[in-house]
Amino acid sequence: MTDNTNTTIEATARALVLHHDDNVAIALCALPAGSQVQPRAAAAQTCITLREPIALCHKFALRDIAAGEVVVKYGESIGRATCAIAAGAHVHIHNLASTRGI
Amino acid sequence: MSDPHFLGYPRANGSAGVRNHLLVLSVAGLTGPAARRVAQALPGARLVTMPYGGGLIGADHALHMRALTGLACNPNVGAVLLIGSDPPKLRTLAQAIEAHGTPVVSVCLDDCEHDSLSLSDRAIRAGAQLHRDLSRQRRVPAALSSLFIGLECGRSDPSSGIVANPLIGKLTDAVVGHGGSAVFGETMEWLGAEHLLARRAATPQVAAAVRQAVLRRERLASSQGVDLLGNNPGPTNIAAGLSTIEEKSLGAVAKSGNAPIAGVLGYAEAPGASGLYAMDAPAYSPESLTGFVAAGAQLLLFSTGVGNSYVSLLAPTIKLSANPVATQRLREQLDYDASAVFRGACTLDDAAHELLLLLLDIASGSLTWGEVLGEGEEVVSRIGEAL
Repeated sequence: MTDNTNTTIEATARALVLHHDDNVAIALCALPAGSQVQPRAAAAQTCITLREPIALCHKFALRDIAAGEVVVKYGESIGRATCAIAAGAHVHIHNLASTRGI
Repeated sequence: MSDPHFLGYPRANGSAGVRNHLLVLSVAGLTGPAARRVAQALPGARLVTMPYGGGLIGADHALHMRALTGLACNPNVGAVLLIGSDPPKLRTLAQAIEAHGTPVVSVCLDDCEHDSLSLSDRAIRAGAQLHRDLSRQRRVPAALSSLFIGLECGRSDPSSGIVANPLIGKLTDAVVGHGGSAVFGETMEWLGAEHLLARRAATPQVAAAVRQAVLRRERLASSQGVDLLGNNPGPTNIAAGLSTIEEKSLGAVAKSGNAPIAGVLGYAEAPGASGLYAMDAPAYSPESLTGFVAAGAQLLLFSTGVGNSYVSLLAPTIKLSANPVATQRLREQLDYDASAVFRGACTLDDAAHELLLLLLDIASGSLTWGEVLGEGEEVVSRIGEAL
């Protein structure tokens, strides 16, 4: 069961991982390319270097994600990668697609 | 808070209004303009007009009548001035409203020799009497168990799913935990999270109903060739960082907290008992909110990411956001600023306590920004073609 009702955000965090199964993190502020970010999470995370600027609330990959791999946020599938996504890259509609609908 | 309560208007059925509106309800497109004239002559009255009404058939007709009756019987409505052009329809509605215990006066165009000015005169005089009577009523303490809240999100961004919706979820748990009721809708935004909702269903039948409701709308989109991307999530959601319907849904369902789901309601359908309910309904806020209000919700909690000014006309709608940029910009739109949680300056539990106090204050009469600025409307859903 996803329980994101007890997420605690630390004041110093610049990015957030919602669940230990997640392969993406959320930017808590606008982050420039090249930023070294250590997202706060349930599990300890290694430092990620951002490959491109990440806007407020947008997602970036915590590790390399293969084409076709499930993208996980809240510990749940939010779709599949439509191409290989490198750690630190922006994850959005250009490389992530829903598996629902059509 | 051991015994949270608010000051409300006691109703015949044991419920309590958080407002005491005179509702001017025009149930036919023909009488809309006259009803507007009537409402303008009665400052403070709430006007709801149906742009259609004749030639409705089958499920559409049933939904239309259920929604109109439900709006009139909402606990926030102290009295109803019913205006229309079709005597049998007005009789049916007036009888249902009377049976509920709400004072109602009907004014029919057919009884005014088809003269809208004559109708206006009659309706203004009747409405003035009703309004004066309402002003004599006083608020009394009411328990949280008499509260029914509706849960909505609109113009969401990822901060909604991380902070604002889980915050609403905590309020939902508090209201339901005290014996009150809550409803969430927007069926398309269960898509990708239906397994989580089904797990919380009170019975296997409710779990099946949740899955079936999602499947039906997913198939509807497919059969019409609708690509969900750009529709839901919409362009504003996407710009703000939401990529797929699954991502949006997983954030959206957090509004429903952790209580068991007692049942799946149809649009504008009132629950038979207290508890948490899912309403199978369109996701667009104007239709969605009216579905909740017609089901009896007196108060709405509405999260937004980047901002959304729309509110219900009849139920105070508490707007909140956790987006640190939007909360700076929209000071006369957002009733609660949850950005401190997003910034890590406040815990979700502390914010939930503050928000519950605000909810009780607004339930007791303090105005929301939407009420102050007059952003409210009611929009009843349609299903199909009319004859």
